[in-house]
Amino acid sequence: MKNHTLVLILLLATTACASAENYSEDPIRTLLPFDAIPAITEPQFVSAGVAKLAPDAPVIGVTFNDESHAYSLYLLNGHEIVNDVVGGQNIATTW
Amino acid sequence: MYDHQTRSLWSHITGKAIQGPLKGKQLKTLVSMPQIAWKTWQLNYPETEVLSLPTVGGTREGINRDNYADYHASQRAGVSGTEYTDDRLPNKSLVIGVQVQTKDGKRQFRAYPITHFTETAVINDTLGKVPLLIFHDKSSFATAVFKRNVAEDVRTFRAQDGHFVVDNTGTLWNLVTGEATSGTDKGKRLERLPAVNIYWFAWARYYPRTTIYRP
Repeated sequence: MKNHTLVLILLLATTACASAENYSEDPIRTLLPFDAIPAITEPQFVSAGVAKLAPDAPVIGVTFNDESHAYSLYLLNGHEIVNDVVGGQNIATTW
Repeated sequence: MYDHQTRSLWSHITGKAIQGPLKGKQLKTLVSMPQIAWKTWQLNYPETEVLSLPTVGGTREGINRDNYADYHASQRAGVSGTEYTDDRLPNKSLVIGVQVQTKDGKRQFRAYPITHFTETAVINDTLGKVPLLIFHDKSSFATAVFKRNVAEDVRTFRAQDGHFVVDNTGTLWNLVTGEATSGTDKGKRLERLPAVNIYWFAWARYYPRTTIYRP
């Protein structure tokens, strides 16, 4: 896989953080195998002018350094993660 | 979620790796518009590009059906069988989840039930001594969280129309872009913080110390 990677809008950072989470004691249950919900690793885009989206369709919107991307939530239902680059930032948009 | 390189497992709520070689590593949560009506996003960002998936005979940007509509309408909380027991709110209450880092390096968490935004689009609050502006427009479903200061000057906001709000100096702000659109502050931007629309059961499980906003 070439570019890639992760997954909400997140960037890899190495800082540990004070943890208040007790979810870490919850068991990890495997419900689906890897890639049963395939993440998007090479996203394609169209311009706003030609996009066929209903006016009230819900989207996630991201903007960095004057570059903006919109992702239909109903499309993301089937993929959950878009590995993307927006305004020079490597991001994972997750739903 | 998992990463292809190490197959570590990550929580997409916290951004932290919970299993595998990268366990304990933390992704940085960036600012975004977690949900907004397409027409409102396009109005504010006309140059935006739109995710489009390859399909038979071309690409498609939209599906007009929410495959999770039944889940959202139901009382079911998650899919893992985990029991969620923080009954301060009903499990499926939709909240805006906010966290701030205080000066002593600790984090504070607060949930803003979406039902508070039926009468007004803005809540002026302070969390961990950080003055906050919580915004949710019920018509476009836009959600945003900002620090409500301009340099050192803390402002108080009230709803005006849709995603436009006014502060106590009379300045008009667009809270989709975070930018002042009139007055001497025109062109200035409020500092945006990460915001999520999330069901209470998930927010409370990951951040059990969270408080709940009460008017």
